[in-house]
Amino acid sequence: MTDGPKKIIKDITKGFAKHGYICSEQIATAVFLASQLEKPILIEGPPGVGKTELANTAALYFKKEMIRLQCYEGLDESKALYEWRYGKQLLYTQILKEQMQEVLEGAKGLKESLDRLMKFEDIFFSEDFLETRPLLEALTSKKGSVLLIDEVDKSDEEFEALLLEILSEFQISIPELGVRKADVKPLVVLTSNNSREIGDALKRRCLHLYIPFPDAKLERQIVQARVPEISKSMQIQLVNFVQGIRELDLKKLPAISETIDWAKTVILLNSDELDAKLAEDTLNVLLKHQQDIEVVKKEIPALVSQATETSDGKSIN
Amino acid sequence: MEKVLTDFVKALRNSNVRVSPAETIDAVSVVDSVGYDDKVLLKRTLSIVLSKTPEEKDKFNACFDDFFSDEIKQQISVDTNQLSDIKDVDSDLAKKLLEGSQGEIMLSIADAAEEAEIREIRYFTQRSVFTRRILEKMGVGKLEDELMQLGSSREGELPSDLEQELRNQLTNLRERVSDYVQQQFLLHGDVSGEQLREQIFKSMNMAQIDRSYLNEVHSLVRKMAKKLANLHSRRKKNFKKGKLDIRKTIRDNWVNQGILFNLSWAYKKIDRPKIYVICDVSGSVGAYARFMLMFLFSLSEVVSKLRAFVFSSNLGEVTNDFKDAKLDEAIEKALQKHGGGSTDYGQALTDFVSLCLDEIDNKTTVVILGDARNNFGPEKAHLMKSIKERSKQVFWLNPEGKYRWDTGDSVMTKYSAYCTKVFQCGNIDQLERVISTLLKTAI
Repeated sequence: MTDGPKKIIKDITKGFAKHGYICSEQIATAVFLASQLEKPILIEGPPGVGKTELANTAALYFKKEMIRLQCYEGLDESKALYEWRYGKQLLYTQILKEQMQEVLEGAKGLKESLDRLMKFEDIFFSEDFLETRPLLEALTSKKGSVLLIDEVDKSDEEFEALLLEILSEFQISIPELGVRKADVKPLVVLTSNNSREIGDALKRRCLHLYIPFPDAKLERQIVQARVPEISKSMQIQLVNFVQGIRELDLKKLPAISETIDWAKTVILLNSDELDAKLAEDTLNVLLKHQQDIEVVKKEIPALVSQATETSDGKSIN
Repeated sequence: MEKVLTDFVKALRNSNVRVSPAETIDAVSVVDSVGYDDKVLLKRTLSIVLSKTPEEKDKFNACFDDFFSDEIKQQISVDTNQLSDIKDVDSDLAKKLLEGSQGEIMLSIADAAEEAEIREIRYFTQRSVFTRRILEKMGVGKLEDELMQLGSSREGELPSDLEQELRNQLTNLRERVSDYVQQQFLLHGDVSGEQLREQIFKSMNMAQIDRSYLNEVHSLVRKMAKKLANLHSRRKKNFKKGKLDIRKTIRDNWVNQGILFNLSWAYKKIDRPKIYVICDVSGSVGAYARFMLMFLFSLSEVVSKLRAFVFSSNLGEVTNDFKDAKLDEAIEKALQKHGGGSTDYGQALTDFVSLCLDEIDNKTTVVILGDARNNFGPEKAHLMKSIKERSKQVFWLNPEGKYRWDTGDSVMTKYSAYCTKVFQCGNIDQLERVISTLLKTAI
């Protein structure tokens, strides 16, 4: 190892920032460890904090192909791993029948026919008829890849068991063909919204990263990176306002993606000062439940004054 | 250095973070590349490798800070050479504190701890005892006497530098010993204390669990409910229609010369039970109802169609209260609104039948929780019969011991004739078993 881990982590932070992803040190460390240990990372956290985006950025940063597998209930191996091309296989048997005549021509007795048949090359189950799906594709990718298994909590438990072999050994057993091993181990990122508890076996095989809502400083950096045209004071006010909302007891708290959407909305509306009216008009960008909107509406004056007050102080770096 | 890491893993396990050997190996290889120099970096890396849920991360952080804390304290070193009257102290400990290096003091703490049999520490509560014991073994008594003398001899004047220094050192020592004990507790103490308590709660009669433990029981119940939910949530039935599973069909029928004879279908059906719960919340069984409802609503992941009714005499539905509000509040509200009155099973059954007999079908399980003590009123068992006939099954959970059924005003047998099964359900263990059966058969 030529570079110290600290330097690599710093490089990752910088490299990710170049692609518009501002990551905390915790995230950068996780990415470093995943590439160092060649282990999958399981990312958990509330929706909209950039779990999927992390994988996208990692693919850009490591200059690898991005392969994505979206999980859902009922996802099975034929959609995730591989599938046989049945149509072609059936056609193949048709051809085979015709060929069989030639092969068996002039054979004397049952034994000789059988011997000839055995010598005949059989490609019914072979790579020719194999349709690769995301997981197999990621393993066979020659240049290496970033494999994103998105929302793994949405899949069934059986599917989780299917992942175990791939995640720990980076190989897939295809009964008809044998074991397919990865030449270049892909960087695997799994995300989960915790709609159900992920099995222990899977968790033990992964590094675990929890991405919480960002603190004000980090969120400002993210808004700055994603919506650079926003004015400095507006950006501070927006972030403070959102941070204030997160303190309230809501059904769904606004995440980073919502903050960014809101910042874009404000730009579109051409406003450069956050006031109660603007906040009230655009609240539906931030909040996705009518109940939440009603709760926050009552708090708007307090939140706005709080948000603008701290920004006037200019004490923020 | 690996010893430090394995010790830390042990400490983590003691604070209820589950770490597998494979993860320990990961941690070792991570530390090889990251090193011990940067504590913040070390903490961040280990947290990613060793703790796998947000709760575990919290515990990890606390444990890490505890475990690697002494490094900071060791840096407090005092220049003792300036004290002129250093020869005046006689006790060994005082000399050691003033002259000895930090390492030596640490060593003597470890020695004293060995003597005090720190390895025997098991419980949280023993920490102060062990701290005191170690300090005594180190000769703190003598030092304290000496300090007393110094204090009394100066007769109201300002304390000398020596005395001041000794006092500081003593406080410092106390802190270090108590830190040391805390570390040792993390290493040697075991979690059996907590497990023991859980065990007791589980087998204790629910009505007798003290209100002050309610929080702990809550988390216990939630844990058990989660376990059951995981166990039962994904039960599947093969569909007999829908999309054809071509792959499987062709594979299965290869033996039939490729003629598609046996068809397999792609979709599987996840069956979720429909459960109606009727809870007696009159004075005698209110406490049980609390746990029962707590348990059932913690299972909402599995039991998607759950309707709950409570009654003393008149029946009231509480389903929506439980769906929206927090569990404790909902329970309080239900008990306040309907609880406490005198029991009338006949009336409750009449209400239930008129309210939702039509909705009961052959997939519905009806669960009744109560002691069947009817105050000698009309029991209206024929209503039970009509419920039984329409539903898939009827369970009765009775919190009283079997020997008390049918005594006094209890009419258990009259009702149990129309129940698929009757359970005794007095503690959390029994409740878990009952609900497990319920989930198994309700699907």
